[in-house]
Amino acid sequence: MSKYILRALPELVEARMITEETAGQIRDYYASKPNPAANRLFIVFGILGALLVGMGIVLILAHNWDVLSKPAKLTIGLLPLLTGQSLAAYLLFKKSTSQGWKEATACFLFFGVGISIAIVSQVYNMGGTLGSFLFFWMALALPIVYVLRSSMASMLYICGITWYACETGYFSYPHDHALRYWILLLLTLPFYYFEFIRTERKNNFFYFHNWLLTLSLTICLGLFADHTEELMVVAYVSLFSIFVMLSTIKAFNTDRILTNAFLITGSLGIIGLLLALSFQFYWEELPGYLPKEILTTPEFIVTVLLSAIAGVLLTIILKSNRFGEVNIKAFAFLLFILLFILGMSSPVLAQIAVNVVILVFAVSTILSGARQNHLGVLNYGLAIVTALIICRFTDTDFSFVVRGLLFIVVGAGFFAANYFMVKKRKGGL
Amino acid sequence: MRYGLIALFVGMVSAQWLVPLKMIYDGEQVVSNGTVYKFKTRPVDPSDPFRGKYITLNFEVDGIADTTSYESGELINIIFENDSAGYARPLVAQKETPSEGPYLQTTVTYSSRDDSEHPMVFFNLPFDRFYLEESKASEAERLSWQSRQDSTQITYGIVHIGSGRAVLTDVMINDKSIAKIVEEGRSEP
Repeated sequence: MSKYILRALPELVEARMITEETAGQIRDYYASKPNPAANRLFIVFGILGALLVGMGIVLILAHNWDVLSKPAKLTIGLLPLLTGQSLAAYLLFKKSTSQGWKEATACFLFFGVGISIAIVSQVYNMGGTLGSFLFFWMALALPIVYVLRSSMASMLYICGITWYACETGYFSYPHDHALRYWILLLLTLPFYYFEFIRTERKNNFFYFHNWLLTLSLTICLGLFADHTEELMVVAYVSLFSIFVMLSTIKAFNTDRILTNAFLITGSLGIIGLLLALSFQFYWEELPGYLPKEILTTPEFIVTVLLSAIAGVLLTIILKSNRFGEVNIKAFAFLLFILLFILGMSSPVLAQIAVNVVILVFAVSTILSGARQNHLGVLNYGLAIVTALIICRFTDTDFSFVVRGLLFIVVGAGFFAANYFMVKKRKGGL
Repeated sequence: MRYGLIALFVGMVSAQWLVPLKMIYDGEQVVSNGTVYKFKTRPVDPSDPFRGKYITLNFEVDGIADTTSYESGELINIIFENDSAGYARPLVAQKETPSEGPYLQTTVTYSSRDDSEHPMVFFNLPFDRFYLEESKASEAERLSWQSRQDSTQITYGIVHIGSGRAVLTDVMINDKSIAKIVEEGRSEP
């Protein structure tokens, strides 16, 4: 912004809008002010540099050099850890405020910890799965987040614990619920709270954290699935409803839709799940009743917990907003619990009801887009209708003519809605 | 606040050093003082994104006849002995930790106690990875497969066992290190 103002100064002086003296004062003001863009660039390139160097060392040491003796391998492998810690100590005792140096050091130390464990495992041919390796790495790297107050280390940590959870819960046999993932995740939340929520700091790190946290939770919730997987769908709908509700709370809300990870993940998650459930397969396999033993299963406990959290959030939101102002997808968990109960006695009715719910959500999204004068939201609503029609084409016996007509109607709807919206913006309507 | 941060930093540095140093200490203890056993094996060649190429060893002796009740994942202590040909085989499996002598502490994979004719307990052998230089792992695997076709060649791992822990130090084909065989194979015209 300052660049444009400085460029306009001669013109403003010439037009006698400001005096030469004022122009000089403006120049001095910008000259004395630190340049935030340069600072941001230093942070970005510092992080990128540390990431690349760290990963490069990991790969070079993974070559497993036979020409090096055991002590030489261990010394070289432990050197990045020592370097990273020395840099961290320097920054800490010098009371450095440079975010760029802190982030770059934290990144390098993060990899230094991993390299140190990897080299010892390699030298002594230690067994142990990739999951256990990642667990020790993440547990030892967690303090870096707090000591250096590093957002990048926190992001790497969230990626690492998600990988750990996937390794132990999805990719290896016998499967594990990876309960330690949840403990590791909880340990990073104080940083998230103090760094972003309490300070109301909404920078790129905040947006990336939101994306990583929502994706990590979405991926890892499935780890609770054991023998009653059908219940997990209720848990997922509750989780996505929680995301949608959080996205409307001031602490998590962002100005742009694309940076609002809670809204996008929640909304897409609900619509994606409901579209999948609009088919027969889920409802056909749903048992007619829930046996007593289900009460102690991890699926049931997590479903009840998430639904309770969603219920509390909805109550809070309804207290401070009018019913019509609340995003309709926030009610998805309540609707789906009712559908689940209905589906146990009447699968066909439940399947029809899911289709109706999707249609209601789509219409509500289209109306919301029109109200906000937002083309993206409007088209998202139309895309939901299209997806629903495509889904129904695969499992119904509509004639080709009916299918063709439906597509023409939706296509015309797309065109008309966008045309009128653009015209309205130009003031033609 | 500042003192708290410094204390956290000191704790972090200590923990980050303690873990690799303890791993090195334990490894060295077993290599220097442990008893050496030869475990017959069949290697395959996978890769770890952080620790590099290794050959996975499938050992032939991962179970012993036992009537005790075990849960999967339960800790178990195995005492090994050498058979007449000089290869390791499990002698005793027990829940209690032996007070002396070399033994391996590991976990139960599966217990077939209900099989009244042949009650067995199977256990993990936690030294199933042998790290090799990137270019040697595939060749080492090929060699070991060749040796399996030839009944006169035997592949085995050299394992040092101490008080509960074990360290694999080499994989041999007919008393020659597999890494050396790969190297010699390369230098031949």
